[in-house]
Amino acid sequence: MSMLRESTGGNSSTQAPALELQEIQATVLRLRPAPYFGSHVALHVDDAQAGRELLRRLTPHVDSAANWWRPASAWLSVAISYAGLEALGLPHNSLQSFPEAFRVGMAARSQELGDEGVNDPKNWEPLFAKGQIHIALNAFSDSEEKWRRVVAIAREQCEGLAGISVSAVQDFGAQPGDLNSLGYRDGIDQPAIEGSGVEPLPGQGQPIKAGEFILGYPGEAGVLLPVPQPDIFGRNGTYVGFRKYQSRVGAFNRFLRANGSTEAERELVAAKLVGRWRSGAPLTLAPDVDNPALGADPQRNNDFNYANDPHGRQIPFGSHIRRMNPRDTQLTRLTDVNIHRLIRRGTTYGKPYDANALSEADDQVPRGAIFLFISAKAMTTMEFLQQEWINDGDFIGANGERDPIIGRQEEGATFTIPKEPVRRRLRGIETFNVLRGGEYFFMPSISALNWLANLSG
Amino acid sequence: MATQSATASRPNLDAIKQKIQNLRQAYADAPEVGRIGLERMIAELEAAAGGGQQRAESAGRTGLRQGKVSELTSIVEFAPGGAKRLRALLTVLGGNFQGADKVGTLHDMRFVFIDNDTRLLFATTYDGDWDTYIDDFSTKIPDALDVLFSNMVGYPKKGMHDPAIKDWIANHQLTADAWYVASPNLTVPEARRLEKLGKAVDELLDKIE
Repeated sequence: MSMLRESTGGNSSTQAPALELQEIQATVLRLRPAPYFGSHVALHVDDAQAGRELLRRLTPHVDSAANWWRPASAWLSVAISYAGLEALGLPHNSLQSFPEAFRVGMAARSQELGDEGVNDPKNWEPLFAKGQIHIALNAFSDSEEKWRRVVAIAREQCEGLAGISVSAVQDFGAQPGDLNSLGYRDGIDQPAIEGSGVEPLPGQGQPIKAGEFILGYPGEAGVLLPVPQPDIFGRNGTYVGFRKYQSRVGAFNRFLRANGSTEAERELVAAKLVGRWRSGAPLTLAPDVDNPALGADPQRNNDFNYANDPHGRQIPFGSHIRRMNPRDTQLTRLTDVNIHRLIRRGTTYGKPYDANALSEADDQVPRGAIFLFISAKAMTTMEFLQQEWINDGDFIGANGERDPIIGRQEEGATFTIPKEPVRRRLRGIETFNVLRGGEYFFMPSISALNWLANLSG
Repeated sequence: MATQSATASRPNLDAIKQKIQNLRQAYADAPEVGRIGLERMIAELEAAAGGGQQRAESAGRTGLRQGKVSELTSIVEFAPGGAKRLRALLTVLGGNFQGADKVGTLHDMRFVFIDNDTRLLFATTYDGDWDTYIDDFSTKIPDALDVLFSNMVGYPKKGMHDPAIKDWIANHQLTADAWYVASPNLTVPEARRLEKLGKAVDELLDKIE
């Protein structure tokens, strides 16, 4: 966190409006700590009064993004689904001012998201059935002790409130080396947000207009994105999407073994799939072997672009990071990459990555990624990404292929590694991360939480 | 198994028979050349009705799509002076729509001035779904689109940046009633790629010869 440099007055040439950091919830801007610990808590509101009382009790403990770049012990965030807003008694006009995708919930958007086959909502964990999760609490910390304290505080507020039930608690983090379930350091690249208070980290590119990520400010087109009403409720809020994946570690390891006969070969294949080595070092900066020091350094591990890689021979077109942020890649169709970015607060849950896991039973061991993404138009962006950048490859010259890490692979799927003299095409790539459930949430500002808590009726 | 497939094909044959019968009835009041031609074509038409033809899907909010290729057809009234302005612009462009090349998904675009320059028929064949990239157009090429379409009646005041823009486009769009595409999987980038590939293969073969 001390790596971040405070901005000395913002981008005055474009006159970015000052962000009301004291209103925005901390998690929107505060980076995931390293190491990181935390919990997601899913709550169900059986009684509107009880729900609003809970918000009254919780809101003083919800951290704002004021001075977010300074180290902090732990922070709590609150997000509410459409079903939750209904259950809390939000007035009808207000409910109707939300976009349709948010109103119907993620399970009902399976067609737009391409959540079919193994990812079909009918296969999801029951927790994620339509309208089940009302309020999602999220606690982040850089230490186990502080994490437990925040969770205890949150639990205290729920105490004695009949009319609120805890549907689930999912602890996350505390992974050896902070590696994810497939054994990589993740969450490195984030969009730089104009007016957020810090200089962009090297490689993040030009800051993107705050309104793409936080409601109530101009977006890249210079206009406000649609804000839920009333203004006090929508302003400084944002949308949070949640997608829980089960990592099929056995399948992943089997794929590496099928396509590499030595450890070095397998690790190169692994790196080509993601675009980074396990340490986080991007292939562009470390083409032949991993460079853990580089991977661990936020000032260096994202400082690259694709100007010298027009054929995808360093980082394949279809690799995960090139799909999720094409940067200056020449795409096949006119695209403004900046309006398709997400703030990511992904977390890892369950047992750590196991390089020796090879069986189908290993695929079922509960572990994986809880992908938490934030944007003022999170539903639109995720649905675009799923259709265009994840479950399709036409946009970047990876025709007929899908994202190797989070794509839903069909029978006979391939992954192409551009190479001289002839490209290498890996066959039989499977779905390595299976979707177990998800939901769309609204993350209100601090004032909005107070407004909601004090609604009458 | 044999009985199953027999029963499965029965409704299909009946459906075809019904379609052809309806067609004959519809053509009962057609001009003679049409009626005679129809009878001569009946076998062909039966095959068409029965053959596994690709069904057109929706291209999103409006329009039809075959495989990856969609159609957009609009008829819009010109604003006062709009026809002359658009003509002047098209004269300058002379068919060189680099903007369209930049978009990368436009197979073709058609501007037809109809009804004595009071209305425009605008039609395009493009890849993918209807509104997936409209926000990208708004930030990348808003001027080109504003200059083209501000000539039409009711074009929103803020043009591409107006929240009403998607509604305006959709409201003037007429979804086609039928849509045929010769190569439904051939997107613009794929066609270009295959062109290059074909040339490269020919060169390689020439070398080998």
